[in-house]
Amino acid sequence: MTPPATATARPELVAEGLPQTRKRWVEVATSADHKDVGRVLIAAALGFLALAVVELLLMRLQLAIPENSFLTPVNFNRMLSMYGATAIFLFALPLALGLFHYVVPLQIGARGTALPRLSQIGLWLYVIGALILYISFWFTPAEAGINPLAPLTETVFSDNNGTSGWIAATGLVILGYCLLSINLVTTLGNMRAPGMAWRRLPILSWAGAVASWLMLFIGPVMLAALTMLLIDRSFDGTFFAADSGGAPLLWQHMSWIFFTGVYVLVLIFALGALAEIISALSGRPLANRGAVIASLVAIGVLGVLAWGQNMLSAPIGIGWMYFWMLMALATIVPFGVIIASLIATLGRGSIRMRAPMLFALGAISIISIGLASEIGHTLIASAWQLSDTTDATAATHYALIGGAVFGGFAALHFWFPKITGRTMGEYLATFSFWTLFAGVNMTFFPLFLAGVQGQVVDSYKYFAGTGVSAYNLVATVGSFVLAIGIILTLVNAVLSLKNGPPAGHDPWAGESLEWFALSPPPAHNFDVLPDVRSHQPLRDVRDAISRRNNGGGTPAREGQAVA
Amino acid sequence: MTTGALLWTLAASVSPAAANLISPESPHSPNAEESMTLYWIGLIAAVAIIVAVNAALVMAIRKSRASRPAARGAGDSTRTAAAEGPAARGTHLRLAGGLTALAFVLFVVGVFFTERARDVPQSGPDGLSATNSLLAQRSLKSVPTGDDGPLEITATGQQWLWRYDYTGEAFSFYRLVVPVDTTVVLDLLSTDVVHSWWVPELAGKFDAVPGKRNRVFFKADEEGIYRGSSTVLSGQAYAAMRTEVEVVSPEEYTAYVDGLETDIAEAQGAVTEDPNTAGPS
Repeated sequence: MTPPATATARPELVAEGLPQTRKRWVEVATSADHKDVGRVLIAAALGFLALAVVELLLMRLQLAIPENSFLTPVNFNRMLSMYGATAIFLFALPLALGLFHYVVPLQIGARGTALPRLSQIGLWLYVIGALILYISFWFTPAEAGINPLAPLTETVFSDNNGTSGWIAATGLVILGYCLLSINLVTTLGNMRAPGMAWRRLPILSWAGAVASWLMLFIGPVMLAALTMLLIDRSFDGTFFAADSGGAPLLWQHMSWIFFTGVYVLVLIFALGALAEIISALSGRPLANRGAVIASLVAIGVLGVLAWGQNMLSAPIGIGWMYFWMLMALATIVPFGVIIASLIATLGRGSIRMRAPMLFALGAISIISIGLASEIGHTLIASAWQLSDTTDATAATHYALIGGAVFGGFAALHFWFPKITGRTMGEYLATFSFWTLFAGVNMTFFPLFLAGVQGQVVDSYKYFAGTGVSAYNLVATVGSFVLAIGIILTLVNAVLSLKNGPPAGHDPWAGESLEWFALSPPPAHNFDVLPDVRSHQPLRDVRDAISRRNNGGGTPAREGQAVA
Repeated sequence: MTTGALLWTLAASVSPAAANLISPESPHSPNAEESMTLYWIGLIAAVAIIVAVNAALVMAIRKSRASRPAARGAGDSTRTAAAEGPAARGTHLRLAGGLTALAFVLFVVGVFFTERARDVPQSGPDGLSATNSLLAQRSLKSVPTGDDGPLEITATGQQWLWRYDYTGEAFSFYRLVVPVDTTVVLDLLSTDVVHSWWVPELAGKFDAVPGKRNRVFFKADEEGIYRGSSTVLSGQAYAAMRTEVEVVSPEEYTAYVDGLETDIAEAQGAVTEDPNTAGPS
């Protein structure tokens, strides 16, 4: 028999008002609290998003007209390397892991994480890796592409420190993500509130569990590949050097396991966040919840098993190619189940068209375009023509921008009130959304058409008379629209830190436990916790309150959570 | 003639301008035709999925906007639990079943056309009669041998030029000359980094990976010049890693290769005769 708990914080236990002995940034920087780790990761990720946009714009300017000489070939390749590393390693992954770190412990009713020091080390490995990448930028940046294929990265062909800097930077960052993932997995396994069974875990926490396990599988594979490349470059190793018996294809296998996993991880994060947002803002529990959870797991497994999707032109047996095609096509089922569930939830509920919902709807639309156009890259004989053209660029960007930018922004708008105590401005958000939506389509839709006409990927120029000039010009104009859309949301976030309308502890009438905590939550997250008796503990609380009020003030019976 | 051509005609009859936008350049080799067919099938599936998802999304938003927000509140969860009864579960199962069927059909279709694209054809009657025996290997299906066997040419990728070694001593750079209506098998090699040989009208792209042998084949049905480029970032001059295939009649081809051999022999003779530059042999 649980005594009724009270929701009001007991003031004598709250240390918020005490004078701080250290500067605020020192507090945040040296804190191992999951909220501080998460906040730094999210803030850094958004900062690097701005840098990635700048790099994208420079490349698009070079490609605005045929045979342009705005950037030298070397500088274009450097931008390409920096853009890829920044967008994937320094933006998409830390945004996902940062939000998981902030929200998941709150959702499961934990007062902290299981291994806080580990997550702090992980965060700082990320910061150091990012610094190395950008310090190398001022000397000799890497210039071997987004996934730099061996043996181009061997010392013989890349005889500068850029590639070594890239190896050090990405290696440290991935090691950091592995530590962060270990912390998330351990926290989810051991620190769930009483009653928070796995089957009652909120969808975002499920996504966090799947994404963390995924990172623990793919991260070490990439770390091994990076170590081998480092040995090749610095100690005359021969892992990937064909003339000494090495295997260039080995790099392709290991790196594509990682990059394919990252693609899948970003989508798992986005779909998990979308499920929470759409369910909260249409006032309906997620339709077909169990199947959505199973689908998240299935996407993680099947997605990584399709790692060879990017290697269909390599000298590899056809049997493996059919295996990868089967795995990739099989992901249609879990992706379809989740998207259908999101749409069904929306259709049964009554929508509140607030900023998170807007970005969430945009995410579904953009992700659907990106995933569906991957079909042409999955059917092998078709992929032999389409792969490594700008058609692939477009498909990947639709899926990843849909996931990391639209999904990430939806999540940002949704959890911003919890993180800062303030809501992000709606007008700027709406304006940013429509600019971004137009920009993405203007930038990447023409690249589908250019790819079909044969424009190759990663190239610093294309030639007049190949029928792709108009597409590229539209794409370049579109990339500026896209950039404005992104910058508007970043500006909105910064402005809203001080000026946003104050949000209560539960601005969206959410169903999971993070909305039970104060906004922002105190260091220990919760003074009290309701009993968790279903997958929507806060709805249970609200139901109990309304039953109590309707019942003429009869006290709640035991077994009902009370707030 | 093929399914691809049929689909192409269908698309062109609906909207010629739109069909031109989304159509790759017309294929001039049987395997490129199979790729084209599969491209159209993939495109139709993708467009159908995109339209279905986005239409469902818009309808859901409309329905959701029409419903009363006042419906929320106490007792809501119990009503929802009722809505998620056996009927809803049936819908979910049907959906998952439908998606599985779609994935399976796409897989079977993909295997079917990929297998056809891997079939190395016999050289045609207008082609060159070359005898060549090839070992059956992994990326190609069994290759016809005998009088109508394929012409085998080695293509070596190097930063940033393709070198083509014909039968005998003849070789050329950048431009490959091949006879029409003849099955040509290119052995792809690389001396430095990974390159990709891709001439869209003739065949899909295949990588030349150092230390590995890859193969690509085509049977050009029309004389002319076909252009292509590498699709794997290979360093500074990657954009220059292009190639050109000139398809000529068998007679012209034989004359060209003979001419190359004579020229090369002459050049080498000139080099060895010059006492200043004469090497050990």
